[in-house]
Amino acid sequence: MQTKLLQEHAQMLLDTAQVECVIGYSLSPRGLTRPMFIYRGEDVEQLVWNQHSSHNLAKYLREKIVDLGDTGKVAVVLKPCDTKSLNVLVAEHKIDRLRVHVIGMACSGVVKDNNQERLQDRCVECEMKQPLVYDYLIAAEHTPEVSPGEFDQDSWQTEFEDYSSEQKAEFWLAHFDRCLRCYACRQVCPVCDCPTCLFERDDSLWVGPGSSIQEKRMFHLGRAYHLAGRCTGCNECERVCPVNIPISKINQKLAQVIEGEFGFRAGIEAVPSPLLTVVSGKEYGG
Amino acid sequence: MNYIRQEDLHNWLADIGEEYRLTAPVEKDGVILYEPIQSLDEIVWDFEKPVNSIKEIFFPQTEILMELQISGNGSDEIKEVIPTEKNILLNVRPCDAHGLNCLDAMFLDDSPPDVYYAARRQNSVVMGLSCSHMGESCFCTSVGGSPGDTVGMDVMLSKYEEGFLVELLTPIGEALFSDLPVTEQVIEVESPFEKGLFPVPNEEILKKSFDSELWGMQAERCISCRICAYVCPTCRCFDIRDEVVGGSNGTKQANRIRCWDSCASEAYRRIAGGHNPRASKIERLRNRVLCKLYYYPQQYGMLSCVGCGRCIDACPVGMDITEIMSVLVEGPA
Repeated sequence: MQTKLLQEHAQMLLDTAQVECVIGYSLSPRGLTRPMFIYRGEDVEQLVWNQHSSHNLAKYLREKIVDLGDTGKVAVVLKPCDTKSLNVLVAEHKIDRLRVHVIGMACSGVVKDNNQERLQDRCVECEMKQPLVYDYLIAAEHTPEVSPGEFDQDSWQTEFEDYSSEQKAEFWLAHFDRCLRCYACRQVCPVCDCPTCLFERDDSLWVGPGSSIQEKRMFHLGRAYHLAGRCTGCNECERVCPVNIPISKINQKLAQVIEGEFGFRAGIEAVPSPLLTVVSGKEYGG
Repeated sequence: MNYIRQEDLHNWLADIGEEYRLTAPVEKDGVILYEPIQSLDEIVWDFEKPVNSIKEIFFPQTEILMELQISGNGSDEIKEVIPTEKNILLNVRPCDAHGLNCLDAMFLDDSPPDVYYAARRQNSVVMGLSCSHMGESCFCTSVGGSPGDTVGMDVMLSKYEEGFLVELLTPIGEALFSDLPVTEQVIEVESPFEKGLFPVPNEEILKKSFDSELWGMQAERCISCRICAYVCPTCRCFDIRDEVVGGSNGTKQANRIRCWDSCASEAYRRIAGGHNPRASKIERLRNRVLCKLYYYPQQYGMLSCVGCGRCIDACPVGMDITEIMSVLVEGPA
């Protein structure tokens, strides 16, 4: 039913020229749910909304707005968690909120990939069922039939806190060792959007293009620092990793620290991270 | 047909592992990967396909080509690093071995041959394992391969009862297995595989497609990561850089390294002065697909897609080369 409401609303937006493009989800010929860009009212039937709608479509907003030139609006289908990314992008002046029409979806969780029926870890304990920001809300009529996950975030974190530094290093280096440096994690991230990534400079200033464990560690930890206070925990990075590196665990840890130190959670409001704006303690030079 | 019991194969591998480095599919944190093994127990025998392709044994993600000592006083030293390790690659899927055949066309048969790739190829024995079924994303039968394809292999094993059928395909394979306890048996092998074929666009269609709207529509969702190229058995683009790794007393030590690159990434085609002939992802997707289906066949006489389907499995946003082939041939759905 949400799909039907979504299609009707998208059609209205396009037919009345309120937006030039609707970014949503459609099914591939294999039946996989994937991002879709709709420009004409007659094509809205391709839009779907289902428990595989995992992709964080806020990722596409910046480039789509650039594509459209100086004027024109784009509509985007966002889950409650995706609206946090929108807030970060707006707070950082990456996108102009006035050029985005947010179709907010009430959500009861998405599953990991098209072959699995289990809720994603992040969805298991998620209490955000309504989008934080929307121009049009499509409410949930029923809870999708998915079994709850078995993942227990608290116990994992607690267990990990007991590790020694050496154990933590061993754990992470074993995971990073598999990294292909394919950059899927970086590319899929809505807020990882530097014009030139420091890990991909032609002059290898900070890190070379090789695949040694040091370079992989630099990439993952460097990326995590750059996302501190900005990562909203959509975990798309982890979903897309071809070699199952539990990337989100690093980001979650940093988010916890920042919440503890600053009382700040990225994306709850459209304000920039205190890590970029607040000077405190020793940073005063005292 | 020759037959070997699993136990005999295991014992033989234990012996030969003294001389060769063994690489086989292993499981790590739920992911099947081709990796050098420490123990025979690590070998996975029942799997669809590893996430990575076997190409990285011959064309590693990063390799040192030369070690340089730069003094600046005319006595610079350059040492070429030619790999010498002897490899046995075990349980290689037919699509992966077929992929090696594609890589050979560029790295070996085209002049001059790539000495690094050639050294690894010469020092390696490819022992394939035929597929008992085709996976969801597999389409080897559409691009000239099959689950029992032996192209690129020295030996092919096929699971049979409590052991394997053994096909010795090259003199290397025959020599290697000369002391192996195989038995001759008359066995009817089941084949062929039934699976819907995807159409492969011909030269004329591909030429005409250059300005097609298809590329824009397909590329729009692409996020310009490199996953498709890095898991592909035939993608072989690389970057070369000199990296300073140390030095003292006015002498610099540097390595000339070669590492994978991908035409999907934005910086791949950027040239001096900042111009980028493939600035948009539309051009980059078109290049990738045409490279597989048109440019490589033009240059080397064969498709550089082996139908393993890894790019389809790995793509974060559901891009699908079989869909693109179908749309090229039959028009949009």
